[in-house]
Amino acid sequence: MLASRKKGIDYWLPKLVVSPTLVIALVFFYGFVLWTTFISFTNSSFLPSYELVGFDQYVRLFMNPRWLNAMWNLVVFGVLFIGICMVVGLVMAILLDQNIRAEGAIRTIYLYPMALSFIVTGTVWKWLLNPTVGIEKFVISLGWDSFVFDWIIDPDMAIYTVVIAGVWQASGFVMAIFLAGLRGIDTSIIKAAQLDGANLFAVYTRIIIPSMRPVFFSAFIMLAHIAIKSFDLVIALTGGGPGNSTDVPAIFMYQFSFQRGQLGIGAASAVIMLMTVLAILVPYLYSELRTPKNG
Amino acid sequence: MAELKIDNVYKSFGEEHILKGISLDVTDGEFIILVGPSGCGKSTLLNCIAGLEDVTTGDILLGDTNVTYEAPKDRDIAMVFQSYALYPNMNVRKNIAFGLEIRKMPKAEIAEEVARVAKLLQIEPLLDRKPSQLSGGQRQRVAMGRALARRPKIYLFDEPLSNLDAKLRVEMRTEMKKLHQRLGTTIVYVTHDQIEAMTLADRIAVMKGGIVQQFGTPQEVYDDPANMFVAGFMGSPSMNFLRCEVTKQEKDYAVQIESQGTIFQLPVDPKQADLSSYVGKTVVLGIRPEQITHVMPHLVAEQYITQVPVKIEVTEPTGADTLILARINDQECECRVHPQEAGKVGESMELLFNMSKAVFFDEQTEARL
Ligand SMILES: Nc1ncnc2c1ncn2[C@@H]1O[C@H](COP(=O)(O)OP(=O)(O)OP(=O)(O)O)[C@@H](O)[C@H]1O
Ligand SMILES: [Mg+2]
Repeated sequence: MLASRKKGIDYWLPKLVVSPTLVIALVFFYGFVLWTTFISFTNSSFLPSYELVGFDQYVRLFMNPRWLNAMWNLVVFGVLFIGICMVVGLVMAILLDQNIRAEGAIRTIYLYPMALSFIVTGTVWKWLLNPTVGIEKFVISLGWDSFVFDWIIDPDMAIYTVVIAGVWQASGFVMAIFLAGLRGIDTSIIKAAQLDGANLFAVYTRIIIPSMRPVFFSAFIMLAHIAIKSFDLVIALTGGGPGNSTDVPAIFMYQFSFQRGQLGIGAASAVIMLMTVLAILVPYLYSELRTPKNG
Repeated sequence: MAELKIDNVYKSFGEEHILKGISLDVTDGEFIILVGPSGCGKSTLLNCIAGLEDVTTGDILLGDTNVTYEAPKDRDIAMVFQSYALYPNMNVRKNIAFGLEIRKMPKAEIAEEVARVAKLLQIEPLLDRKPSQLSGGQRQRVAMGRALARRPKIYLFDEPLSNLDAKLRVEMRTEMKKLHQRLGTTIVYVTHDQIEAMTLADRIAVMKGGIVQQFGTPQEVYDDPANMFVAGFMGSPSMNFLRCEVTKQEKDYAVQIESQGTIFQLPVDPKQADLSSYVGKTVVLGIRPEQITHVMPHLVAEQYITQVPVKIEVTEPTGADTLILARINDQECECRVHPQEAGKVGESMELLFNMSKAVFFDEQTEARL
């Protein structure tokens, strides 16, 4: 009797504990995803309306040059951010992997930026990149009078400052992932390759890096979704400016939904962003969940 | 092809002293087997020879060159690792070909070589698989293949056959021997298998605690062990060690044993040991199970053979022979008899103790007398 009651509690308690979270997740996450998707097919403007207009909002969205600009910025930012983070992270991880002294301290230093919020990163870099108080001023004060570094106020270059700040923040994290991957490789494999005559470069390019494919994939997925959702960093660093030159989809969505009273277009852009994330995530999850892990 | 000279090599990991003055002279083309209990430093020694671990002090010479400070890739050594160390991202074919590609062998020759090795090791059907899709024994053969595809100055094998089934192991053992006869390359080979050690080796190095206890031909190590450790380690079932007192006979010496309440004097062959200074003291008699047999009439009269009745405590049939556990001097003693001659447990049985190959050790130092 006691045993069966105990079993009953064991059975119900976990379900009871997670159920509020589950309800909240269902309502506020999936519920609002569905609601937003629905709104994107209505003619909502300031307030939600429930009159269906088909794909009109999507057509208007893709006719809007600001959206196209935001998408293009996302491509530029995404490619550079992911690419540079991966390369920098990998190089740092390989260097750290050479059994250097004070590795723990260095690793912590590189990892710290990840602990900051993007708002802090954005604000700090806004000052650093500001020509009148930051790096440019500093170098000029050192005596190099003609030095110019004003990307942040140059509409053509401002998007690259977002890349710089993003890389600064995320590459330490990527390094940590790669380092864990490198450490997971049996050292006798490296020894075997050395005996086979491979130099250090060949050991890394022919064996270690190729066998870290899952690690690369994880890093890529994480960086990609940081890139697509990038909102706070851009807001803090450039506020989308100068002009609209550093607009990204998240900012576009926020402004159209909540500032310009075009809820329908905003919802449509949100759905497009969701689709982009899914397009990356689904194949990943599919391949990860389908193939059983084998070492 | 080269001779290998290991000169007084010490290796420590921090405060942990693993190799304590290893010296081995291996002549060109010799097949050397390293044996010793787990953790005695065999793999560490191989790693030092390959250059994968730096020696703390001492020198390693390959041919005429001192390679102590050379990088592994410049030493031209091929090694099979205890943990296989296959490249996880490459299939079997690529694994075997990698070392050849790095050394810039032409493509056609590589393919030929891979095919040859795959046939030798019976891994042809596996060539397109990844290491993660192989069993332990298959991985081990791929690891062998990777080494055998090359023609290095020296092969180092770290328990290369330990994971194979009994039949394949015997086949591979024969292949190893043929291969060595054909190529004549110097080989250093670690194994825990007594038969492998005895059949393959030109010379065996028995290690314990980072020290080479004895380095000699299989027969020397077997018949003429340097100390009690070597005597007990080599041979299966292992040598019996019986503590017994030395007595003086008319002109020779004997050791005294007791079985079922009766005292027997086993004569000591003066060629085997001089026990003059041990009269009245205790020594350890080392006698192999095959030196204690059932009664064979043509042997009874020989000088160093004594007939002793014993009580059978346990019998262990192995097929070819039956092992009998008897109690001598209140110590256990294993004897090897013909299955048909073996008595039943609890019965008494007459056995012949052949002392012509018996060895003696000091009770305290365990050194050979
Ligand atoms: N990198 C290392 N750091 C510290 N100690 C080590 C290291 N590598 C090996 N050892 C120690 O050195 C000793 C010898 O190890 P080794 O691998 O050479 O043994 P082995 O004779 O090959 O044993 P086995 O027969 O089990 O393979 C062990 O006690 C092991 O713990
Ligand atoms: Mg070992």
